[in-house]
Amino acid sequence: MKFQIEDVTVYFPYDNIYPEQYEYMIELKRVLDAKGHCVLEMPTGTGKTIALLSLITSYSLSKPSSPLKLIYCTRTVHEMEKTLAELKFLYKYQVQMLGPSAGILALGLSSRKNLCVNPNVVSAENRDSVDAACRKLTASWVRSMAIENRNVPTCEFYENYEKVASNVVLPPGVYTLQDLRVFGKEKGWCPYFLARYMVRSANVVVYSYQYLLDPKVAGIISKEMQRESVVVFDEAHNIDNVCIEALSVSVRRQTLEGATRNISRMSQEIERLKATDAGRLRAEYNRLVEGLAQRGNLPIADTWFANPTLPEDILKEAVPGNIRRAEHFLSVLRRLVQYFKGRLLAENVEKEGPVTFVASINTQVGIDQKMLRFCYDRLHSLLLTLEITDTDEFLHIQSICDLATLVGTYTRGFSIIIEPFDERMPHIPDPVLQLCCHDASLAIKPVFERFQSVVITSGTLSPIDLYPRLLNFDPKVSRSFTMSLTRDCICPMVLTRGSDQLPVSTKYDLRSDPGVEKNYGKLLLEMVSVVPDGVVCFFVSYSYMDGIVNSWHESGILKEIMQHKLVFIETQDVVETTLALDNYRRACDCGRGAVFFSVARGKVAEGIDFDRHYGRLVIMFGVPFQYTLSRVLLARLEYLRETFQIKEGDFLTFDALRQAAQCVGRVIRSKADYGMMIFADKRYSRHDKRSKLPGWILSHLRDAHLNLSTDMAVHIAREFLKRMAQPYDKTGAIGRKTLMSQEDLKKMHSNGGGMFS
Amino acid sequence: MSHNETNGEDIRFNREEEDDDEGDGRGLDAWERVYADERSWESLQEDESGLLRPVDNKTLLHAQYRRRLRTATSIRIQKGLIRYLYIVLDLSRAASEMDYKPSRMIVVARQVEAFIREFFDQNPLSQLGLVTLKDGVAHSLTDLGGSPESHIKVLMGKLECSGDASLQNGLDLVHSLLNQIPSYGHREVLILYSALSTCDPGDVTEAIQKCKSSKIRCSVIGLAAELYVCKCLCQETGGSYNVALDEPHLKELILEHAPPPPAIAEFATPNLIKMGFPQRAAEGVISICSCHKEAKSGGGYICPRCRARICELPSECQICGLILVSSPHLARSYHHLFPITPFDDVSPLVSNDPRKLLKNCFGCQQSLLNPGNYSYHLLATSILFHI
Repeated sequence: MKFQIEDVTVYFPYDNIYPEQYEYMIELKRVLDAKGHCVLEMPTGTGKTIALLSLITSYSLSKPSSPLKLIYCTRTVHEMEKTLAELKFLYKYQVQMLGPSAGILALGLSSRKNLCVNPNVVSAENRDSVDAACRKLTASWVRSMAIENRNVPTCEFYENYEKVASNVVLPPGVYTLQDLRVFGKEKGWCPYFLARYMVRSANVVVYSYQYLLDPKVAGIISKEMQRESVVVFDEAHNIDNVCIEALSVSVRRQTLEGATRNISRMSQEIERLKATDAGRLRAEYNRLVEGLAQRGNLPIADTWFANPTLPEDILKEAVPGNIRRAEHFLSVLRRLVQYFKGRLLAENVEKEGPVTFVASINTQVGIDQKMLRFCYDRLHSLLLTLEITDTDEFLHIQSICDLATLVGTYTRGFSIIIEPFDERMPHIPDPVLQLCCHDASLAIKPVFERFQSVVITSGTLSPIDLYPRLLNFDPKVSRSFTMSLTRDCICPMVLTRGSDQLPVSTKYDLRSDPGVEKNYGKLLLEMVSVVPDGVVCFFVSYSYMDGIVNSWHESGILKEIMQHKLVFIETQDVVETTLALDNYRRACDCGRGAVFFSVARGKVAEGIDFDRHYGRLVIMFGVPFQYTLSRVLLARLEYLRETFQIKEGDFLTFDALRQAAQCVGRVIRSKADYGMMIFADKRYSRHDKRSKLPGWILSHLRDAHLNLSTDMAVHIAREFLKRMAQPYDKTGAIGRKTLMSQEDLKKMHSNGGGMFS
Repeated sequence: MSHNETNGEDIRFNREEEDDDEGDGRGLDAWERVYADERSWESLQEDESGLLRPVDNKTLLHAQYRRRLRTATSIRIQKGLIRYLYIVLDLSRAASEMDYKPSRMIVVARQVEAFIREFFDQNPLSQLGLVTLKDGVAHSLTDLGGSPESHIKVLMGKLECSGDASLQNGLDLVHSLLNQIPSYGHREVLILYSALSTCDPGDVTEAIQKCKSSKIRCSVIGLAAELYVCKCLCQETGGSYNVALDEPHLKELILEHAPPPPAIAEFATPNLIKMGFPQRAAEGVISICSCHKEAKSGGGYICPRCRARICELPSECQICGLILVSSPHLARSYHHLFPITPFDDVSPLVSNDPRKLLKNCFGCQQSLLNPGNYSYHLLATSILFHI
C-alpha cells in the first residue's frame, strides 16, 4: 500500500498496516525532519522493523536531493539476516511501484567468519583464527613476497578483488550475507573486502553494534560514513551495557602469561630482523620520528586494530622518543606486565581511579601517562613492522596495551578494581584486574555527534526517560507505543503468595526459606498440569537455580513435575544449552510437553524466542537484581549517582525490571500468538517495581491479577487457555479494528488530519 | 484522542447497563427462577474495572451466525454419507479432573452417549466404534457397528481412568482398524482429549502421516487447552480442532460432528454400491436370526439375496455381505446433500404489515398466516419437502 505522511509518500509492502505502526512512522518522520535523536518503544510482534525500514527508505526516496543513508545496527547475525530479508521484500515492492529509479544498495556486513568464501580460511574454528588465517594470505608483505616467490600462498579471491578494486560495483539490490557469498563466489571476488568497500556507498548498511560503538572496530569500518545518516539501534534495551563493555578491559593471570610469551616472541623477531633486514626497523623509527600516524595510507587488508579510545581523544602528535625504538618499547611492555603481575598478587580487594593508578605505575616502573597512551598505536606499528600475521596469538598483549591506552587517556568515568577471588567462591583464587568503564555515554557520544539522527528502539525501554540520562543525550521524541490486539492474547499476573498464602520472594531473608522454595515448586507443579506444551522458567541466578532445583529434587517435587513434562536446564556451557534447547523444542513438537529452566541475563533470556507452543507460559521466579555486592556494580552506581544524579535503587530496579520484561517478552512474538506471564515475587506488586514494566505489559495487567496466590493463578490460567484456544479471528470482527487499509488511512487523513498533530 | 475513546466506551457501557436492567425486569425475578444448573456464577465475569457483568456472548453469537452462513453456502459440496467413525476417548489420569462437574470423564461419557444417538439418527448408513486411551495403551472398546444401544452399554460399563494417554498408540490402533474398510466409506476419527500431553513409545508424527496417507480424517476436541500435536494432527488430516469452554460448549462441539463432513477430494469420485432393501418378516414366523444365532419370532427383516433373517437395520448381511438399508434411511442421509435453503429473517415490524408478508411457504405452499399451522409446517418442510 501507499500513503502520505505529511510530505512523504510511504511505500509499505503489505496491504494493511497496524495503527501503532502508522503512529510509529509519524513520530519517526518528525525526528528525521528535525534531524534529531529519539527513543521509541514498541512491543515485539508489531512489525517494528518493517515500519522503520519502509519509512526511512521512502523518506530518502521522496527527497532525492539529500539522500539519507541508513545504518541499521543489530545485536546478532540472526537478527541481521531477518532484517535484510524484510528489506528485500520491501525493496521488491518499491521497485515494482516506482520502477528502477527506486534502486538502492543495501548490504549486511559481518566478520570474516561469516563472509569468507575461501575454504581453507573459513574452516578455522573461531573468529580470531579466521581473521588471522585471512591475514596470513592477504597482508601486504605476504602478497609482495608472493610476487617474487610463487610458492607463497595467497587468497585468489582477494587477488581478484584487488585487481578490479577501484571500479568494483555491486548492482543495486539487497544483499544478505548469503547473497554476498554467492556473488563473491560467482565473480571470484572476496565478499568481505567487497562489502567493506561497498559500505561507503551503500544506501542501507546492516551490521552489528560493535562496528559503531567499539572504537577499536569503528575506527576501521565506520570511519567514512557520511553525516547525513540515520543510525538505528534495534533491540537496544541493553545498549548501555554494550557501550560499557566496549571500553572495559579485564586482565587475568593467563592474560599476563600470554603477554609475556608475546613479548619474548617479539624480541626474537627483532633480533632476527636486526640480523637480516635492519633497514626495516630503521625505517619504522624514522617514520615515528616524523610523527606519521601509522594508519592513513595502509592497504585495507593490513588495518586490523584501531585505537581503543574515541576519535577525538587520540593525540595528534609524534610517539614519544623513549618508545620509538623497538627494544625500548618492548622493555616498557615488559615492565608494565611485571607491574600488573605484582598488582595481581594483592590479598585484598583494591579500587583506584585512573589517576592514582597511572601515578603508581609511574613511580614504580617509570612509565608516564604519555607513554601509556601510545602503547596501542606503538604495538600496532611494531607488529606491522615485524610482519606478524598470526594475530590471534597476540590477543593477550593487545589487551594489555588496550588497558594501558585507555587508562592513560581517560581520567573520569573509569576505575581500576583488583579482586583476588570471586566473592561468591572465596576458596578459589582467581585474581583479576579490571578496568571498568562506568559511563555508557562515552562510547556512544561520537555516534550522537557524528550522525544526523540516531534512533534507539526496542520492545522494552521502560522507563523511557532513563535512557537519555544514561546515554547523556537529548531526544527530540521519546515515546512508548502499545499494541493493538484483536484479543487479549497476553495474560500477565503477579503472584505474591503460595498455595499456603505465605508470601513468596527471592529477597535475601526469604530466599533460602524452605517454605518459599516449596511454594515455588508447588506453583510450577500446578502450572505444568494445566498448561500445554512448553513452559519456560527464569531464575535470578545460576546459583539460585541450582539450589532450588536441588531442593525440589529432594522433596520429590521435581519427580512429580516430570510426570507432566520433561525438564531441561540451561547451563553455562553453550553446547550443552543448545542441545537442551533442541530437545526441549522436540519435546514440545511431539506433544510430550517440556519445562525449560533458565537464568535471567543468560544467553537464553537474551536471544532465544519461545514463541507459539514453545512457550505458553513463562514464570519469572523472583526479581532479577544484579549481584549487588559486586565491586564493579558498586563503582558504577556511585558514578551514576555523582554524575547523572540517578539513585542506586532506581537504577537497580530499572535494570532488574528490564531484564524481567525481556525474559517474559520471549513468549510473544506476533499478534496471533498467545502466552501467559507470571511474575512470582511479592515485590512485583509494589508500585515502584511494577510501574517500570513496559506499557504493553502493564496495559494487560489488570488490578485483579496483582495479588494472586497459586490457586487463583491456576484458575485464571485455565480460563485463559480455553479462551485462547478458540478459533482466532484475524480481522477482529468484534469491533476492535487493528488493521488499517489504504482507504482507512486516506479517510483518516481527510477528515481528521490533525488527529495526531 | 484516547480520552474521547474512553468516554465513548463509558457511554456505551452505561447504555448496556440500562439495557440489562430492563432485561431483568422483563423476566422473572431472580428468586423466582429455577436454577437449572447450580453454577450460576459462571455466567458472570469481571470486567476491567472489577464490576460483575454477564458473560459476553457476542462472540458465540457471531460464531453461530457464521456457521449458519457456511452451511447455506455449502449446498454444492459433496459429502460422504457412508461414514466409519471411531470415537477415541481419553481415559487417562487427566480425565478424572473435576473442572467439569462431576468429572471430565462423566461429562464426556454423557455427551458421547448423546452424540451416538444423534449420529445414527443423522447418518443411518454409517457405523461407529469406540476406542479408549489409558495407561499408555489404546483399547478397542467396541468394533464398528450400527447399533447405538450396544455402544452405549459397553461405554457406560467401562468408565474408569488411570495412567497417561498415548496419542500415537490410539492412532495406530484406529489406523489398523479403519484400513480394512471398503474404499467407498469415509474414515473418520473423533478424539476427545483431556490430557495436555501424550506419552508415546515412538514418533507421533509418523502415526499422523500414516493416517494422512490412508485418508483418515482426524478431529480433536480438547477439554483443557490447545495442544500443538493435536492441532498438527487435525491440520494434516483435514479434521477440525476445537477446545471446549464448558459443558454446553462441549456438547455443541461434539454435535457438530454429527452431520457428515465434506468429502475429501480424492474420495469424491462417484461410486456405485450394491444395497439391498429387505422386507419386514411376517409376524409370528419363527426363524433363526443370523446376527444372534438364535431362534426369534416376529419382527426382523429378510435379506433379499440370501433370505437370512436380520434383527436391525441398517446392517450388513452376515451371510452374503450385502449392505441392508431401508429407504427412509437412505432418504434421511440424502438431505445432507441438499440442505434447506436458509430462511429469511423477517423483522417483527414487517410481519405486522400483512401486505408485505408472504402468505404461503415457498416450498410447500401451505398458508403461513394460520398460526395453528405453524408447527406442522416446520415439520413438513424439514421432512416432506426435502425427501
